[in-house]
Amino acid sequence: MSLDAFYRFQNLARDESVVFFYTGYFSQAIVTAMADALRLRLNQTDASNVQRRKLFSVFIEMAQNVVHYSAEHLTASDSDDHEIRRGALWVGERGGQFYVVCANPVDRNQTHRIRDKLAPLLGMSNDDIKQLYKQKLRADNDAESKGAGLGFLTVARDASGPVEFDFADEHGPHSPTTMFYLKATI
Amino acid sequence: MQNIYLAATSFSPEVNFDFAAHRLALKGECYPENAAVFFEPIMNALHNYLAQQQRSHITVDVQLAYFNSASTKAILAIFERLNAAAVAGNYVTVNWHSDPDDDTIMEFGQEVADDNGALDVHLLELA
Repeated sequence: MSLDAFYRFQNLARDESVVFFYTGYFSQAIVTAMADALRLRLNQTDASNVQRRKLFSVFIEMAQNVVHYSAEHLTASDSDDHEIRRGALWVGERGGQFYVVCANPVDRNQTHRIRDKLAPLLGMSNDDIKQLYKQKLRADNDAESKGAGLGFLTVARDASGPVEFDFADEHGPHSPTTMFYLKATI
Repeated sequence: MQNIYLAATSFSPEVNFDFAAHRLALKGECYPENAAVFFEPIMNALHNYLAQQQRSHITVDVQLAYFNSASTKAILAIFERLNAAAVAGNYVTVNWHSDPDDDTIMEFGQEVADDNGALDVHLLELA
């Protein structure tokens, strides 16, 4: 990559008011370091305490989602601790609101499962999401989840509007993986 | 009974379970990579301690600034276990501290209180 491409990348990031961007491998140590840096960066913005907390929560849920579920990993695919997996995470600001976007490859056969979890949340009010959260809090764990199965719901709860998601093929329609994007505005 | 003391890290709370004094405290951030792995030894020690208690006065101080979704059920499980101990005849006071503008943590404390009627839960605002 020539430096010229790097300037274009920097300019785009500035034009889009990017507060934070990371792409590469995610581990708990990297997530923790990014979280510390994000907190310091947010302290320099006009974000309210409530907004900072919600943004932090969304950031952690998304970043740990990459650590646990990205289809591209350096660690054994069945490990559930000390994992290292690939993804990207972007925090930006627009008109006094912040947004967080994460991207990570997922197995193509997981897209239905992800869609089924996220699609119902799109049309729900914040009160409905809170009710569903309380209900799921007391429900038995999803067998495929490595946590409490509340990650997407937590992102939706802390977002100020409906979350957005998409799948985009990185390596064509026949690749076993596709790129999963999730965006939340706070 | 061995007390438990774990110093806080950037992603895990200070855990101070002083079983001899019947005082248990959790304080700080909570977003370990694997909540089940983090909480399992804490839960086991709590279970062993509570199994030996009769009519004890136990005080639990919780001051969590943030916890991730994966930790929520483990935290609830701690209070369910404490509630069972209270039902069995112990007196369990829970002081749940949160920032006044942090609705999420405060509402979670309310959930703990609603679900565990035998606990004496106090929702307290940090100054």
